[in-house]
Amino acid sequence: MAEMSGYERVMRTFGREPVDTMPFFSGMGMVLQPAIKKLGYKFPQVHTSAEKLARSGIESARMFNLDSVVIPYDMCWESEALGNKISLYEDSEDILYPTIPNKNWTELDQVNITDNDIETIMSRGRMQLIPEAIKIVKKEAPEKALGAWQLGPFTQMGQTIELDKVLKAVFKQKAKVEAILDRFTEMIIEIGKSLQAAGADFITLREPGVAADLISPKTFKEIIKPRLTRILDAWKSPKVLHICGSTDSLIEMMHDCGADALSVDIKNNLIESRKKLGDNVLLFGNFDVFALPCKAETTVEQAVAGMKTNIDGGVDAVWPGCDLWPDIKEENFRAMEQTVREYGRKASPALGRTDGGSLKK
Amino acid sequence: MKKKEDLLKELKDTVINYDEDGCKAAAQEYADVNYPALEGIMDGLAAGMQVVGELYEKNEYFVPEVLMCADALYAGLAILRPLVPKAGRGPKSQVVIGSIQGDVHDIGKNLVKMMFDVAGWEVYDLGRDVPLEDFVKEQMRTDSEVVAMSAMMTTTMLGMKKVIKMIKEKNPNVMIMLGGAPVTKDVAKLFGADGYAESAGNAVQEGIRMIGRLREFEASKAAS
Repeated sequence: MAEMSGYERVMRTFGREPVDTMPFFSGMGMVLQPAIKKLGYKFPQVHTSAEKLARSGIESARMFNLDSVVIPYDMCWESEALGNKISLYEDSEDILYPTIPNKNWTELDQVNITDNDIETIMSRGRMQLIPEAIKIVKKEAPEKALGAWQLGPFTQMGQTIELDKVLKAVFKQKAKVEAILDRFTEMIIEIGKSLQAAGADFITLREPGVAADLISPKTFKEIIKPRLTRILDAWKSPKVLHICGSTDSLIEMMHDCGADALSVDIKNNLIESRKKLGDNVLLFGNFDVFALPCKAETTVEQAVAGMKTNIDGGVDAVWPGCDLWPDIKEENFRAMEQTVREYGRKASPALGRTDGGSLKK
Repeated sequence: MKKKEDLLKELKDTVINYDEDGCKAAAQEYADVNYPALEGIMDGLAAGMQVVGELYEKNEYFVPEVLMCADALYAGLAILRPLVPKAGRGPKSQVVIGSIQGDVHDIGKNLVKMMFDVAGWEVYDLGRDVPLEDFVKEQMRTDSEVVAMSAMMTTTMLGMKKVIKMIKEKNPNVMIMLGGAPVTKDVAKLFGADGYAESAGNAVQEGIRMIGRLREFEASKAAS
């Protein structure tokens, strides 16, 4: 049987149909410096042009045989659309993602997200570039699955008000925090629907600001989980829930939120998570985006061993634990991809193989 | 008049219970009866923060609680710090601190800054999103003994390595402290740092450990 395309492999994964080998993809920022260089772009340019966004994503995926293209890369789109200015670091020689250096809302009481803000969000700032880029990728790279993503409401709130104020307000102004989270929840639902309507094959809800090394599982259960559930319920499948940081105590609640697959980072104990979730849940993760593909001192052999450990942890697809750092060591990253394909020929806990590799009973 | 031990306990407990007003009142009462201010800071406020760090390690406290405890500590510190006698002490030790360029997160940085404030250091806070060369320039300008840098994202962490190299080339004796979610012990060692903290709450623990090291450092400085 011919090797599957990335698109087939990813979509069959979400559909729980057997695949030829383990998928190697991501639903989070995945633009790589060798691809940007090949295209003759500068890193800051890829965030402000639909064409460059699409081309750099496609080239990154093709150059390293990744199963998906991910659009977009930076985390400032919505905050910018709500009126904040972004810094692109156009003069820096280093690879720096856009940031919001100063936020217009300095106190929670100033936050005012109107119905009109939500209805018109896709036409503000750079937002319209995302569906444009999605359409280009769908046309130009049909062999790849296209992943879009949205930050979760708590993390998005931290992109528009200083995070320390948000965190303290969880105790001091709980009702206010919940009211603001509800507005962001509505906004995220609408944006996600727009990205899916533009052609995204799957969508990832990323909520890194709620890991158990930041807020308590109790706060997660009371304030965060209901809103993540609401968002995921409003989006069509396939949809992934990703949380960075410490998630061992959250993994079962993450599953309750209703995503088709869960993604975790390097701080998660995969073996324990798999025990808690059972073998019927799609679990993605969780390689260290610095140690294996980027660290100058990491050898190819170490990168290969890292991938095997990752797969042995019980994932159904190898995902990076966060945005891929663009400046990868090419030989390491290529070896990582090859290892996933070869070592991942055996069935994973929730996904069989087309050559007969069956699921664990 | 309350006994010194009782007021020290009040200072400690109000920090632990993130009672900003209570801490302020306890510090004022402690100051009004002229108990030694430094003892109030170290055995009251800092001792409270040490317990906060332990509660964080045990997953009883999380970052919101740690931040509110820090607010309480600062309320007490604002009253007691000016009362610490300067006589008999040499020039203050100094630290340059900031979040690295590309990173606008500063919670962990501010918690580490707090521990230097507690220890009575002169803190040159460059803020966040700080261009790499600014750390080097400020260290040279102030001749600071410690440079502390924070990055919350992997995408900005690599800048730290460049700063360390630039600083160590000019002055190998400068102590470097790194912090932030992506910074592991391995990374800190690899980059040539002298200390690290991986999260905001963990920064408190590391900061408390550093106070001990800083005291030793100051003692050796005074002896030389």
